[in-house]
Formats: sequence, structure tokens, C-alpha cells
Amino acid sequence: MKNMKKLSTLLMGVVISAAAIGVAHAGSKVPPLVPLGDPPIPVDNKMSDAKTKLGKMLFWDPRLGGDASTACVTCHEPDQGWGFADALSRGYPGTVHWRNSQTVINSAYLKKQFWAGSAASNEKQAPSAAKGAVAGNGENDVMEARLAFIPEYRALFKEVFGTEWPLIADAWKAIAAFERTLIVKDTPVDKYLAGDKKALSAQQVRGMKLFNGKANCISCHNGALASDQKYYNLGVPTVERWNDDGLAQVTFRYEIYAKGVTQELYRKLKDDPGFYFRSKEKTDMGKFRTAPLRYTKFTAPYMHNGAFWDLKEVVEFYNAGGGQNDFTDGTISKNKTPLLKPLGLSEKEVDDLVAFLEGFSGEELRVEAPKLPDYAPLPNPATN
Amino acid sequence: MKVISYKKRITTALFAGLIGSTMLSGAIVAGENGHGPVKMIKVDAKKAALGKRLFFDVKLSGDSAISCATCHQPDKAFTDGLALSKAYPGSKGFRNTPTLMNAAVRKNWFHDGRIGTNLNDVTREMITEDYIMNMDMRMMQERIKQDPVYVKMFKEAGYGEPSNGSVRKAIPEFLKTLTSRNSDFDKGTMSAAAKRGYGLFNGKANCASCHSGANFTNDKPYNRGVPENPEIWADPMRHMTYVAFGTFMGIENIMNIRRDVGAHILTHKADGSDVGKFTTPTLRELKYTAPYMHNGMFKSLFEVVSFYNQGGGQDKNKDPNMKPLGLTFGEQQDLVAFLEALSGDVLNTGAHVWKDKIPSNYAAIKNWRAVKN
Repeated sequence: MKNMKKLSTLLMGVVISAAAIGVAHAGSKVPPLVPLGDPPIPVDNKMSDAKTKLGKMLFWDPRLGGDASTACVTCHEPDQGWGFADALSRGYPGTVHWRNSQTVINSAYLKKQFWAGSAASNEKQAPSAAKGAVAGNGENDVMEARLAFIPEYRALFKEVFGTEWPLIADAWKAIAAFERTLIVKDTPVDKYLAGDKKALSAQQVRGMKLFNGKANCISCHNGALASDQKYYNLGVPTVERWNDDGLAQVTFRYEIYAKGVTQELYRKLKDDPGFYFRSKEKTDMGKFRTAPLRYTKFTAPYMHNGAFWDLKEVVEFYNAGGGQNDFTDGTISKNKTPLLKPLGLSEKEVDDLVAFLEGFSGEELRVEAPKLPDYAPLPNPATN
Repeated sequence: MKVISYKKRITTALFAGLIGSTMLSGAIVAGENGHGPVKMIKVDAKKAALGKRLFFDVKLSGDSAISCATCHQPDKAFTDGLALSKAYPGSKGFRNTPTLMNAAVRKNWFHDGRIGTNLNDVTREMITEDYIMNMDMRMMQERIKQDPVYVKMFKEAGYGEPSNGSVRKAIPEFLKTLTSRNSDFDKGTMSAAAKRGYGLFNGKANCASCHSGANFTNDKPYNRGVPENPEIWADPMRHMTYVAFGTFMGIENIMNIRRDVGAHILTHKADGSDVGKFTTPTLRELKYTAPYMHNGMFKSLFEVVSFYNQGGGQDKNKDPNMKPLGLTFGEQQDLVAFLEALSGDVLNTGAHVWKDKIPSNYAAIKNWRAVKN
């Protein structure tokens, strides 16, 4: 009965979704899925062609990293969904990362970056990644000095930012501007929501109904990004690799040590406490941000630790009511979100839902890699 | 005056030499100006052994590509044979790798003397500096904890669990073992030429005014007018490394200068009169540590001696004590013979080199979930 009621409300919501009517759910209103608009552009980092051109070069440039081997693109590969197609991202040489590399596509819309929202903008995400010991492991002074020795960069930074010598903070701005060009919004779901009823197949429409109703995905995967950008503990199973891979064990301990936990927790933790690092509230253990569902066709594996290799596995996980980890079973804490309950979806319904999720992806966005300029000696100071 | 004191010194040296050789066969000669054997330092053997392993382990660098020994090679008295050092991948060095022999008896470290506290701080500087080993020490700690050999060694050395702090103690303990020994000077077995050279060293050539003490250095900075190494400014990867260093050190007008300011980073005199000073190096183990000077500009000891013989190089800040010495060709050769007599044993046996293979990968900790981190 309850489901039926939701379903009918949702159907109505879908029909007039353009009007952005809230969907009634469990006594609270959640925003409906709506077509994706243009990304917000911060007033202190306006877009320009020269800036995005520079940002694109820098995105590909491994000299923005410690040993000049690891660029943004190293873990955000265009042909791997602008992420990295392994459960855990590859990491800096001599390390492995401890979380799944997220797609850069549509990151411009997110209020916070990273799985636990530790960076407040694309401008802040870039240095955090370029400098982190398991990502770029770069340092500002070395990276900034390198930029000064690349004549093409000197010219572009001067044109874009007006400085005589490139500043590292401007490099992050240019990269963020480039990332704001990596937008995929003309997907079947967008078209359908905008009124093109042929944009989704009958199966996908059935999936959408489940999404908004019986499967209750909409309670978190809502709005234009299909994410409420809030943090939940779903009981995603822990990383198997930590059990038998020494390199991954090193990184695990490094992360909990570097991010800062109590001595007692440092000794005990065997899974990533996620949002806890930011709030230090025990009730936030194991929480990660609701992933946007856009572009997911190209971004396997899924979840913050790459636990699932295809969308069907993800849907089956939810169908089972989520899972268990150290932060749900009481090993460390017991705070699985009460939103997750077994859904009772039939196999056909699971397939319908997967088909609908694929409608969030549209065309794969591929761009040609830029040609990177070489170092050159500085001109004689008397003549420059 | 000078000549008189020179003669006086010679007499003393010869006298001391006589006494030395009568006391013990092959015994150590007392020298002038504090010259004499460098005293061995008592170390904790287990801590030093741990430091030795750490010294040779590439896991102490950010991308696990280099160890301390990459630039400080035992066969070359812990230098690398290059004019300018290699640096971390992606960077290139702008100075000559100094020897680590007798590092423990120095008063300050690096060619510009920028650390004047202790080897613990020097160790931290080398491991964490972005163009040297570029290591996040938190990551280093966890790497070390993953290696059962280290876990055992730290425990047996009395450090308990591996930690950054203990790494910074253990490596200095190893460095304390790198003491010069068995040079002809120390054994009293110098050739006649070397003995004549030593006389010049303390007298006519006036080397001892800076190269004093058992380690043949007063650890103070001077401007000798050593020519700039043009490669630093011609090779963007060296120049940019200097720019990164200079930016961090607050060197004024860093993008427009084309010289290594040296110890100016410590005193920052507004008139720039402190630009171009570099710390007096030790003269021990020179046979193994070519090329010479802070920027490796001289390939041979004869070149170095000739440079001093002509009163050093051209620099408006040059130390006023740098004057032409008027040494004959033969005297310069004698001086070189003496300098060579300050080189002793090459410390390349197991006592000073970690000979066992250090695994470059990490074995998994068994039963990981049940074991405390």
C-alpha cells in the first residue's frame, strides 16, 4: 500500500517533472530528478578560452607532481570515464591509493569534492590531489618553479592571470576552469525529463518508476545530479585487497595516521571511516557522499572503494538492503543508514533499474590529449 | 713575521712527528692548528646497524627511487663523483654532494651551513626536502612498519615501534660511524713530499687558517670567488631546482639572479656582502671525492691548489685573506701530496654498508584484520 502510494505520487512527479515538484517520501520532500543545467562558475575564477586551454595542458602535465610522473590525467583518464578503472586508484609511484578515483565529468556541479567532501571546490581539489602522498606527492615550490621554465606556460599564465611568472595557485584555477568544461548533460534521462518521451526505452521508463518508487533511490539520488550530496553509511563491504596486499596496507595506515584519528582508533581501524575524518563524530563513521549517477556507464568500478564492478552488482547490493562493514556491525560503530531496507525487486526489476541508470550517461566525452611544451633555459634577465 | 711563524710551525710539526713515531710504530702524529686524527665516536651498535639499513633503503624516498646512498656512495667516501648532485627524480641538483665522512663532528651542515643544530635535523631535511628525497614522513613510518626486519631492528635497538623520530635518531647513529681512519697523515707515514706540503699548508699557503681541527675545517663560510657553475643556469632542471630552493629560502629577486648566493640565506645582508660564501669543507678523503668545491667546478686537487695559489677567483665580496700565495709548481705538488695523505680507508665493507638485499616490495601482514595497526 505504502509503495503503491509512493508510486502514484512519483508517476505524477515524472509527468510534470519540469515543474520541479517535490516528491513525497517518508514524510519528507526530496527534489525530483531534473535536467542538468549549466555548471556554476565562481566569480573569482571566470572562464576564458585561454584559461581552459592552459588548464587542459596542466591537467595532462606530470610536472605538476613530485617526480614529474603523475599528472591529474594519470588517475583521471578520459578513456576510463575520467577516473581510473580499478577498485583503488593507482597512486603515486611506490604507493597505491586507498579509494576509487572519481570521474571528473560534472564535478563542476558538486558543492564539495572527494568522497568525504574534504575539498570545497575544484580549485581546492586540484592541489590536494597534486600534493597528497598517494596521488601527486608534489610540493608548491618545486611545481611553481617548473612552470616558470616552460615558455609557453609563462606566456599563457601572463595572458590569463597577468603575472610575470606563473603562480601555482593560478595553475589550480586553470585546471578547475578546464574541469568546468567537462560537462555531460545531454543524456537520455535529461532529454526525457525535458519532455522527449522517446528518449528512454519502455524498460528504462519502468526502471525510472522503480527508481522513484519501490527502489527508493530518489531519497538520496535526487535533483539534477542524482545526488543529494549528503553522506551515508551503506555498509559497502571493505576492501579485500587490504587483507593480502602489503602496499595497500601501508597506504591504509598512512591515511588514517595522516588524516588524524586517536591513537586508539589508529590501532583498531581496518576500514575507511570516511566522513568521520571531517566531523569526528562517531555517528559519521563509514559515511561517504551519495555518488552522482551521471556518466556511471563509463566509471566502473563503483562505490568509494570500487567494491562493485558493474551497475547490476550495485543494484543488487541495494536490493539486499545494503551490506555490512566495521561501521555497521558494531566492530567500530553501528550506524548504517536506516534508509536501506531490502527492496524485494525481482530480477526483471533489477534489469529495468540498471537500464534506467545507463540512461544517465549519454555519449562518452573524449578529448584529444594536448601537446605539452618543453622546458627551456630562462632568458637572460637583462633582456627579458 | 709570517715567515718566522711558518718556520716555527714547521719545527713544531717535525718535532711532533718525531715524538709520534717514537711512541708507537705507525702511530698518529699530533699536528698543528688542532690537526690530528678524528676521534672515533662510541655508538650503540644496534641503533647504528638500523641506521645503516635505513641509509641504503630506497623506501625512504617519496617514489622509492633513491636512497641516501644514491648520492652518498661508500666507494666515493659517501659522495657521487658528479660536479652537481642528481636530486629527486623530476629535479636536478645545483650543488656538489658533500662527503659524509666525519659529518658527526661538524658544527653545521650543507655547503651554506643552513642547519647548525644536529644530524637529526639534517636527516629530516634530506628525507623531506622536495628536491632531495621528497618523502612524507608519515608515509615513511608506515612503510617501515610494514617490513618485519625493521620492526625487529627498531625493537632490539630500544626504539620500540618504528617511528619517524627513531629514523631521525638511527641514521645519525650510523653517520657517527663514518669516521676517517688510517690516512698517512694519521699514521705518521706521510711521504717527504706530503710532509713538505704540510709545512706549506700551515705556513706559506696559509690553508690552516680555515682548514683547522681534526676534520680540517673551521666550519665557517667564506667567499673564495669560486666561479659559478654555468650548467646550473643552462640546464632548466637545475636552475628550477635552485629557484624552488631560493623561493623557500626567501632569496630576493630569485628569478633574475644567476648565482648561488650560498650562506646569504642565513644572514640576508641587505648590501649583499654575504653573497657567495660557502662553508669550508673537510679535507679528509679528498682522493675519493672529486670533483671539488660547492659546485664541483674543479676536477683535480691540483686545480684547487692552483686556484688558491692565484688568490682565488673574481668576486667583489671575496674574502680579503685570499691573496696570491706565490707557490712554485713543486710546492703546489707537495701541497697536493699532503692533501692526498689525508685520505684513509674506504668504508665500503659490511661494517659501513648494508650488504643484504632490502626488499623493494611489501609483504602483507598476515591475519591483517585481527592484528593491531
